[in-house]
Amino acid sequence: MGTVIILTPVVIAAWPAIAAAVTAAAVGMGLAVKESAAESVTEKQPETTPAVEVEIEDSQILSQSLSRGKEMVLTKDGVELKISRDERGGIKVCAGGLGHTKAELEAIAEEFVKKTTQCYIYNRTVTELKSKKFQMVNEEVTEDGTIRIHVRHSEE
Amino acid sequence: MEQHNIEITISPDGEVMVHVKGAKGKACMEYAKWLTQVVGKVKDQKMTSEFYEPETKARIRLCQDIKNNE
Repeated sequence: MGTVIILTPVVIAAWPAIAAAVTAAAVGMGLAVKESAAESVTEKQPETTPAVEVEIEDSQILSQSLSRGKEMVLTKDGVELKISRDERGGIKVCAGGLGHTKAELEAIAEEFVKKTTQCYIYNRTVTELKSKKFQMVNEEVTEDGTIRIHVRHSEE
Repeated sequence: MEQHNIEITISPDGEVMVHVKGAKGKACMEYAKWLTQVVGKVKDQKMTSEFYEPETKARIRLCQDIKNNE
């Protein structure tokens, strides 16, 4: 009883918060984080290699926090995901890899975008709940990956 | 002491459903507004019957008024 709201996520943050969500999503999907973007495989691949780009909707990396050209690179089973800031400041995920179809790469990139968004929203929500001194009653992750958080707040 | 419960469901694509329980009227709206600022944009919102119930202080005053008139 009370109210029920459905909210669409907006991902606007400085690089550390985005990087934390990207890392959490990478761990969740079994992707390894590369040390440096300079090691990127996709840069060395011929132009015919399929590559797809997916943007995180309503996203922005705050400009001061990540200079152009800087990016995170993740890998798994020959697939490489590059996470970077596009010209408009949004978060861009570029997927590439030999032996994978464009559809496969697109599916991986889309899944990663969703997972990153979920991780970012989870981190931000829990941080804000703690700062407002909410009491954590229960937290669970269902089989389909949905996160359920139950908190309580006492009003005097 | 009044206790307000909030159930937050974050779907695999990041969409969030917030269910505020035990808070009425203005208090309920304050939680909704705050969580909207935290997460993003409102896609849909429904008020449940509890939202329209008078807040605790108002209800106590009403009960006292009725007793005084008796």
